[in-house]
Amino acid sequence: MVKKKTVMKYFVKAIWVFNWFNSCGFTELVPVVGSRWDMERFGMITVNSPRKADVLFIAGFQTPKSMKRAQKIYEQMPDPKFVLALGSCPITGGMYWDSYNTVKKLEDYLPVTMYIPGCPPRPEAVFDAVFKIVQHVHGMPDE
Amino acid sequence: MSVVEKEKNNLDKEEKIVTALSKKLNKKVNIQRKKRLWVSIEPKEIVDACSIAYDMGFEHLSTISVTDWIEKNNFEIAYHLWSYKEKMLLTIKTRINRENPTISSVTSLWSKNAELCERECHEFYGVIFEGNVNLTPLMLEDWTGPPPFRKDFDWRKYVQQEYYDESNPREDIYFEVKK
Repeated sequence: MVKKKTVMKYFVKAIWVFNWFNSCGFTELVPVVGSRWDMERFGMITVNSPRKADVLFIAGFQTPKSMKRAQKIYEQMPDPKFVLALGSCPITGGMYWDSYNTVKKLEDYLPVTMYIPGCPPRPEAVFDAVFKIVQHVHGMPDE
Repeated sequence: MSVVEKEKNNLDKEEKIVTALSKKLNKKVNIQRKKRLWVSIEPKEIVDACSIAYDMGFEHLSTISVTDWIEKNNFEIAYHLWSYKEKMLLTIKTRINRENPTISSVTSLWSKNAELCERECHEFYGVIFEGNVNLTPLMLEDWTGPPPFRKDFDWRKYVQQEYYDESNPREDIYFEVKK
């Protein structure tokens, strides 16, 4: 029987990311991609299709309309998959806490693996979250 | 041509357009400032007025805007038309009743462009454009509340009811905020 850890190890060797960003989400996460913090040195690549992705990054305020699309994207991702919510907007609605058309709690719509607080979160915090996923897999018992 | 002469020419041109428009629309066309004209008309004349303006060179529908005058119990709908030839903006304003916000659509003149503008006005103010076949929401999918840009829409109360639970100790802070 193939061990779960063995399989997962291969998956988390290089984390491929699919981005679902509204509003300022993308511009705030550009430093992670750029040369200073450079996520590619850890094997993190932004992919052009959710079918290749391991991790779904969600940032910026989400509306019920955008959430429908995000769910479609999530369903297309192969297992094992993780959802990382970046910034304060997906956590509580952020500065849009009293907006009539903004999603206040992301976990009502998608199974969120980890929330990264900050407005915007520092690139170090994003890497920390990704390393936590890797550590989690390495710490798995050999079943 | 000197600058003064140029200015005078422009003013003459403006005057000419204003007189021609006033005559055709049978309404007083006002000059707000340089190159900015506006006219107030009856809601039932809207398609005729727009087509007259279209024939005079105001071919581009920049946008349609709605203002909610809740004290006067009406919506003011403004059609902003731009003329490429004269480089002038004409605003056609009309007021409709707030209780029965219905007006003829101008999709016969500007088809897709007008359709999009009218969809937005319908979505946020609930104005019904008769003749527009596609008034589906742009942004507010599955929206059940009242049109959100109306002045009598209490958005804070709506958000508290829709998204937060007062009995939850982690969320009762949202109910302490006064308007």
